[in-house]
Amino acid sequence: MTPSAGGRHSKLIGAAEIGPTLLRFGRDGCSVCLGGLFKQGRPVALVRELIRTGLSDLRLFSSPGSGYDVDLLIAAGRVAETFLPAVTLENRFCPSFRGAVERGEITAHAIDALTVVGGLMAAAHGVPFQPVAAWAGSDVTSLNPLARPIASPFGDEPLYAVPAIRPDLVLLHAQEGDEYGNLRNLSTMTYADALMARAGQHVVASVDKLVPNEAILRDPRGTTVAGIYVDAVVEIPFGAHPTASFPHYSMDESFIERFADLAEAGRRAGSTAEVTAYLERFVLGPADIFDYLEALGGYRALAPLEREARFL
Amino acid sequence: MSERYSTGELLAVLLARDLRDGETGAAGAAALIPMAAIMLARAMHAPNIQIAGEMFVNPRPRQLWDSMLDDRALGTCEASETFTELFGHSHRGLDFFFHSGLQIDAHGNINLHAIGPWDRPTLRGPGAANISYGVRSRRFYITATSHTRRNFVERVDFVTVPGNLDGPDSRARAGLVREGPRYCLTPRCVFDFDPETLRMRLRSLHPGHTLEEVVAETGFRFAADPEPATTVPPSDDELRVLRTVVDPRGALAPGRTARH
Repeated sequence: MTPSAGGRHSKLIGAAEIGPTLLRFGRDGCSVCLGGLFKQGRPVALVRELIRTGLSDLRLFSSPGSGYDVDLLIAAGRVAETFLPAVTLENRFCPSFRGAVERGEITAHAIDALTVVGGLMAAAHGVPFQPVAAWAGSDVTSLNPLARPIASPFGDEPLYAVPAIRPDLVLLHAQEGDEYGNLRNLSTMTYADALMARAGQHVVASVDKLVPNEAILRDPRGTTVAGIYVDAVVEIPFGAHPTASFPHYSMDESFIERFADLAEAGRRAGSTAEVTAYLERFVLGPADIFDYLEALGGYRALAPLEREARFL
Repeated sequence: MSERYSTGELLAVLLARDLRDGETGAAGAAALIPMAAIMLARAMHAPNIQIAGEMFVNPRPRQLWDSMLDDRALGTCEASETFTELFGHSHRGLDFFFHSGLQIDAHGNINLHAIGPWDRPTLRGPGAANISYGVRSRRFYITATSHTRRNFVERVDFVTVPGNLDGPDSRARAGLVREGPRYCLTPRCVFDFDPETLRMRLRSLHPGHTLEEVVAETGFRFAADPEPATTVPPSDDELRVLRTVVDPRGALAPGRTARH
């Protein structure tokens, strides 16, 4: 972080600084929380960098729906525990998640959306827990380590409490942002990103495009996460790939399918060779985002995703 | 066996008929068939259905998708919300919601989490994002795209979303005060729930299916009239609107979901 003109500290980091930044904020066994949802707005480039740091035994949180990126983290052997409501590629299971749970390699807690959202709300609001009234009759409540029945101080309705969730490291992706960490989602859906930014201890965000601070000042209502909540911001073109970053690019369904096919083949065969080769090719091998894009077949290969996003 | 419509189209039509004008609901996670049902109901008889509860209000999808939870699927919408509003929607509840499951049991309980022991499952499923709509919504529908003894079981291994638990007493003890599951729609038949026991009972057989077949393919005992009613199949009008207005890309069409 270098002082910029006028003495205000920029939070802009370069691609080579992502790993050191994650190592400064995180440690083995720390909690990591990922923004976006399912196949949109996921901080996948930051997740690849997280895998490259070697940080392990991670305790993984996310917005209520996650898929490709958490499966990648699990395939890379970086995860000890998951606190994830829905883990799915939507049209099929997440092979690495499923395999790791079935083999007893990770602990996947029974969690639902209100657990995560409530815990983040409590952390953002500086209170020890969030009451939850809308649960009844589910094993998700009885087995959930983050749910306890409590008595209401004001009445006798049945209530639960979920503890504040204050992730060590929150990773977000937005379409635009400035050097001070102000993020601007141009997408319609923004999910739990703003809440996570307020709840996290350290927040690192990637943006497809860096914009000048003047652009943020012209439209303050367009700021979806204020820079005061963000510790570091990095410009990464296609930083959400293979998930979508609307209106810039759509989700790369065939890329996700190919990963799922080989991870599933490995799971069935009891073999790690498939995901090891995949990780080498797309995560550990490429030196930076441009290398990664080359491994995908270059920018030309991504143009259809931009066209699909524009058409919407 | 009819070649007129697919299983997906049949289920969408049956669900649409039960949605009322002015109600508010959402499609849930496995959105394809429920979303088709909501849009068909809007186009046929219920123009004032409001779609809300999943971080967007009244989306205008240009076509049907497996999931509804991204910008591509929703097209545009009248308002976007964030997950902090999930508490408010869970508190108020919706009029209707939809669930599917890895396992579905005789009392309409839904398992999306695990088959086998919880700490070492033989199959770990996706889990569920929001389990509160099944509890707080005025009613929900169970949709199944397959119907065998493997997924229709006496008791689920894990209750992700409670249906009727073990019957009326257990529902009351757990604090479940809404209607719960109204119908369970499968590729073979429609079940509803016996008001005394809250177990599934056969409501109607889809054309071309038999009671013997449903008994053989269901892993629990269910009440049935010896001469069950036949499901009223989709009308020409329903299929026309479904295919031209709701699903012009044919996501539900024969060949995409199993042919009926």
